[in-house]
Amino acid sequence: MRKHTQTNWVAMAFLIVGSLCILFPIYMAIMVSVKNPQELAQSVLGIPSQFHWDNFQQAMAVTHYFHTFLNSLFITFFAVVLTVLTHSMVAYAIARNMHRRFYRYLYNYFFAAMFVPFPILMLPLVRQMSHLGLADRVGLIVLYIVYGISQNVFLYVGYLKSVPLELEEAALVDGANRWRIFWSVVFPLMAPMNATVAILTGLWAWKDFLLPLVMLSNPTQYTLPLVQYAFQSQYSTNYSLAFASYLLALLPMVIVYIFCQKWIVNNVTKGAIK
Amino acid sequence: MKRYLVFTPAAVATTILLATRCGSSANTSSNNDSSQSTGGSTGQKVTLEFLQNKPEVVNEWNSLIKDFEQQYPNIQVKQINPPNTDTTLQADLAKGQVPDIIAMGADATFIQMAKNGVFKDLSGAPELQKVSPAYVKMLETEVGKSTPYAIPYTVNAVPIIYNIDLFKKYHLSIPTTWNQLMQEATKIKQEGGTPFYNGFKDAWTIAPIWNALSTNTEGSDFLKNLESGKTTFSKSDVTAADQLRQFVTLGQPNQFGVDYNDANAAFANGKSVFYAQGIWTIPVIRSDNPKIKLGTFVVPVTNDPSQTKMVSGVDSLLAVANSGNQAKEAAAMKFIDFLLQQKVAGQYATVAGLFSTVNGVKNADPALTPLQPYITSGRVVDFDDHYYPAAMAAGNQYESVLQGALSKNQSTSQILQQLDSLYQSAAAHQ
Amino acid sequence: MKSLRNSLAFILMTVPMAVLFFYFHTWPAMHGIVLSFTNWNGFGPYHFVGLQNYIDLLHDKQIRHAYVFTFEFAIVTTILVNIVSLMIALALNAKIKLSKTFRAIFFLPYVLSTLIVSFIFNFLFSNLIPSIAQNLHLTVLAQNILGTQWAWVGIVIVSVWQGASFNTLLYLAGLQTIPEDVYEASNIDGASTWMTFWRITFPLIMPFFTINMVLAAKSYLQVFDQVVGMTNGGPGTATQSNTFVIYTNGLGGGELAYQSANAVVFLIILVCVAMIQVRMTRGREVQF
Repeated sequence: MRKHTQTNWVAMAFLIVGSLCILFPIYMAIMVSVKNPQELAQSVLGIPSQFHWDNFQQAMAVTHYFHTFLNSLFITFFAVVLTVLTHSMVAYAIARNMHRRFYRYLYNYFFAAMFVPFPILMLPLVRQMSHLGLADRVGLIVLYIVYGISQNVFLYVGYLKSVPLELEEAALVDGANRWRIFWSVVFPLMAPMNATVAILTGLWAWKDFLLPLVMLSNPTQYTLPLVQYAFQSQYSTNYSLAFASYLLALLPMVIVYIFCQKWIVNNVTKGAIK
Repeated sequence: MKRYLVFTPAAVATTILLATRCGSSANTSSNNDSSQSTGGSTGQKVTLEFLQNKPEVVNEWNSLIKDFEQQYPNIQVKQINPPNTDTTLQADLAKGQVPDIIAMGADATFIQMAKNGVFKDLSGAPELQKVSPAYVKMLETEVGKSTPYAIPYTVNAVPIIYNIDLFKKYHLSIPTTWNQLMQEATKIKQEGGTPFYNGFKDAWTIAPIWNALSTNTEGSDFLKNLESGKTTFSKSDVTAADQLRQFVTLGQPNQFGVDYNDANAAFANGKSVFYAQGIWTIPVIRSDNPKIKLGTFVVPVTNDPSQTKMVSGVDSLLAVANSGNQAKEAAAMKFIDFLLQQKVAGQYATVAGLFSTVNGVKNADPALTPLQPYITSGRVVDFDDHYYPAAMAAGNQYESVLQGALSKNQSTSQILQQLDSLYQSAAAHQ
Repeated sequence: MKSLRNSLAFILMTVPMAVLFFYFHTWPAMHGIVLSFTNWNGFGPYHFVGLQNYIDLLHDKQIRHAYVFTFEFAIVTTILVNIVSLMIALALNAKIKLSKTFRAIFFLPYVLSTLIVSFIFNFLFSNLIPSIAQNLHLTVLAQNILGTQWAWVGIVIVSVWQGASFNTLLYLAGLQTIPEDVYEASNIDGASTWMTFWRITFPLIMPFFTINMVLAAKSYLQVFDQVVGMTNGGPGTATQSNTFVIYTNGLGGGELAYQSANAVVFLIILVCVAMIQVRMTRGREVQF
């Protein structure tokens, strides 16, 4: 295993300090969450003599954890799946028709929208969505699909430039129609970019706070971040309970990250360099 | 890559399983009356969305709701306690989805909603006979129409709360004038103690003391004159702002970095002698430290004790939304009838630390005894901010102005100028 | 016939999405622009007031301050995030041990919800640091920074803590596109590490630098979650970002029309910023 190159100790030292900065707040959060109020009053950062896991149990009951988790999962899952399916298709049509004015304009339209700040839509949107009866989870999914398109079409079109046309042309000669070509030839070829888009969309929908805040009026539909906000006042000074709840809200994505770390990091990077 | 392959089918399988369950409930809730009735419900069940704005009493409401649902198995009440009621309600209004029953303070948001016909007109409702007519009148005055849009349920008061043990330790006596209060506070500070503990990181916590000071010093016609442009904050609230600045010098050093919850806990644990907050805080303080002995006295704002009035407003009113759905409105009235029973009203008022408006119900808490005569004899004045324009009072707007100015130690005239410009902007844009 | 079917397929692939996009994005935006010329408060009747809202905006100190805060915050955070993440990326790209572990740690904040991270830092600033400082008798630090005029620093810290991860990743990707022999060549020349960085590394990752600048500026100009999670805009209006003001005053304070006007101004400013950024980077190959 030993390589003959020398380890850069300055870089190592810097990274160790940096890692501690990243890990310290997380360590603090864990320590706060496993104490009872008396232990917390004595020491925030110390390791308690006894771990109070019941804080987590209580937090689960207070925030209806599983229900909330399912809300977040439902929204994220459908946002991701539908985004990948529809945006890849839109991008394909645009990428193969860039010489036509309509598609070029469409591309520029989507691209320009990237610079429109959300606040300008926010106030009328709230009203529009509730008139449609869409001020709920389903409406949120629709919005994630619609608002992601600027970035995703951009990513897909960039990627499609590197996908060779020969395979498509061969299929076209064989008499396959565009839909067949897209689903059986092009879509699989875009797999790496599909993964990138899926991760970016998934993280966005999972972490988002502002859209659920303005859109969801029914507390039974709240997502994990929104529930933390809504229950903030009820935790009062019981910080252990609050932090147990925060950690529970962060946990699902952290678990996914731990197991798919390499895959996530590689695919997000791909969005940048491909 | 291998990991990816293992992960995907499992994830897809579980998510589809879960999603179908979520999906079915999403369908039922896409119409306005939302909320999936859990379990196999038979018969027509009415679900009421009940919004209340007091985080301190979420559990008490839950237990009242449980009792009610046992009596009326066909009515389900779902409590909503949003962290920022004003914003939530305004968003609900913009969406046209107002909760079925609302228990909230008689604040600017309520007034605005009532004026715009959001609530059911309760004229002639027998429920009105069960509560104190003075507070029914107060609500009508606030809305500016002689139509009852809500039933007052509890009323609050803003006194100075004190820690009896520490009070004795410093050999203090109940102050009846502002000068006396300041002298005592200064004495505590000189002896190394903290006179007042403030939770000013949450801007709204400045509101109680500000209202006590301003209502007692600005003259009784202030709000009318403000609206007609005859006066401004700069002209009428100099005394109040001076007193507020003086008050802040006697708070703990980190007062703008401590929030409401932490301030309650600190006062409960003997960190200060006095605490200038509404009486709704008393139950919270006691839950933070069950052994604490508390007393209260009316904020002695002026130097003429006979002139001092206590700030007291409707803490929770009960209003029913105009939903057009007869079954819902009827169910909502049943819930209100349930709440107006003397036993229930007394229980709620005691737990919430408030005075009940229901005839014949008294709060037996000895800590509140010194305030009772003011309520009984009507030596009370409503919160000023209930009459500020919504865009000034909702979302902690004016409290933020005070918070910012005080934390920067700005002058009285700077504070008041900012209030004036906020008022002008708010009055123009709503 | 075939080409007709072809183009029909392409039309069907794009038009439904374009219609949805127009209906859920462009339509409410246009609606917002129309509203900005009225005096609507969210419900009830309203009428057109011309440019009154825009004229009032000019005199509104709260909103002016929100713009100042938003831009100061966005500039400081964008610069800091880029410096920090470039340094981390350089270190990760150096010859180090445990590089996979480090990479995993530095990307971790990206998967965490900003709001919850802000709650955690709120506790850190409000409770942990003051109590430690008090025990050590450091009176300066015993103040909660979020309750002082330095509250914005707290928001910058939380944003850098979380925001650096994504940019680190992009820089790292950029650094890995630089072939090893480029460095070797400069080693032979005897150039110092510092000079190697400025003369060779930095110009080669310039495209990634511009991407990062654009992306960071765009997201920090719309800062919201951190403000809600830590200060709620306080003390006073010190940390009210423009998105925060539009949300609280527009939805909460019934200033729907007025804040729509504010949002229109915000749109115009952001488009100008984007155009300046695009112009500054013109001629460089930006692929993201």
